[in-house]
Amino acid sequence: MMTYALIIAELTMTVSILLGLYRLMRGPHVIDRVMAFDLITTCAVGLIVLLSIQWGTAMYLELILIVSLLGFLTTVAFVFYLNKPGTDEPAKSEIRKTKSEPRQP
Amino acid sequence: MNELFTVLLLLTGAFLILTAAIGVVRLPDVLCRSHAVAKALTLGMFLMLLGLWVHLDDSSAALKITLAIFFQLVTIPVASHLVGLLALQKKLPRWKERPMDDHRKTEPP
Repeated sequence: MMTYALIIAELTMTVSILLGLYRLMRGPHVIDRVMAFDLITTCAVGLIVLLSIQWGTAMYLELILIVSLLGFLTTVAFVFYLNKPGTDEPAKSEIRKTKSEPRQP
Repeated sequence: MNELFTVLLLLTGAFLILTAAIGVVRLPDVLCRSHAVAKALTLGMFLMLLGLWVHLDDSSAALKITLAIFFQLVTIPVASHLVGLLALQKKLPRWKERPMDDHRKTEPP
C-alpha cells in the first residue's frame, strides 16, 4: 500500500510542477511568473519529502529546510526588486510602437 | 496503523498541492492565484511534513521537522501576501466579473 501511495503522490507532485511550468511560460506579467516559481519550489520540497519517506532516511531534512528558505528568499528578492520604480516591464502597445517606429519615416 | 496514517496524510497533502496548481493555472487574476497558492499549498505541505514525521518515528528528527513545518507555515503566506500587495500596487488588470470590493472607485448602481 505504501509503494502505491508513494507513486500516486509523486505523480501528483510532478503534474503540479508541470502546471506551474505552464503558468511560468504563459503568465501575462512578471508577478504571475514569480508566483509560479514559488509553487514549483514548494513542489520540489514536497518531492524531497516523498523521496526521504521512500528511502527511510532522515538525512534530507537539512535539504528540506534549505530549499524552502531559499524559495522564500527568492520570492522576497523578486518582490523587493520589482517594487522599485522604473522596473516595470513595458506594455505590449509600447513594444509595438517602438517596433513600428522605424518604418514610418 | 502507522503506515495507514502516513498514507492518508501523504495523499491528502499531495491532492491539496494539486488543487493549488490547478488553481494557479485556471483562476483568472493575480490576486485569485495568490489566494490559491497561500491556502492550499500551506495546508498541503503541512500534511506532507506530518506524514514524514509519522513515518520516520525518530525523536532526533523531530526538531528539524518541527522547524520545517514552522518555516513553511510562516513563509508561504508571507510570500503570497507580498505578491498580492505588489499586484495591488502595480494596478494590474483585474477580473472583470469580480464581486464588489473596497477598492472600486465608482459606486455600484
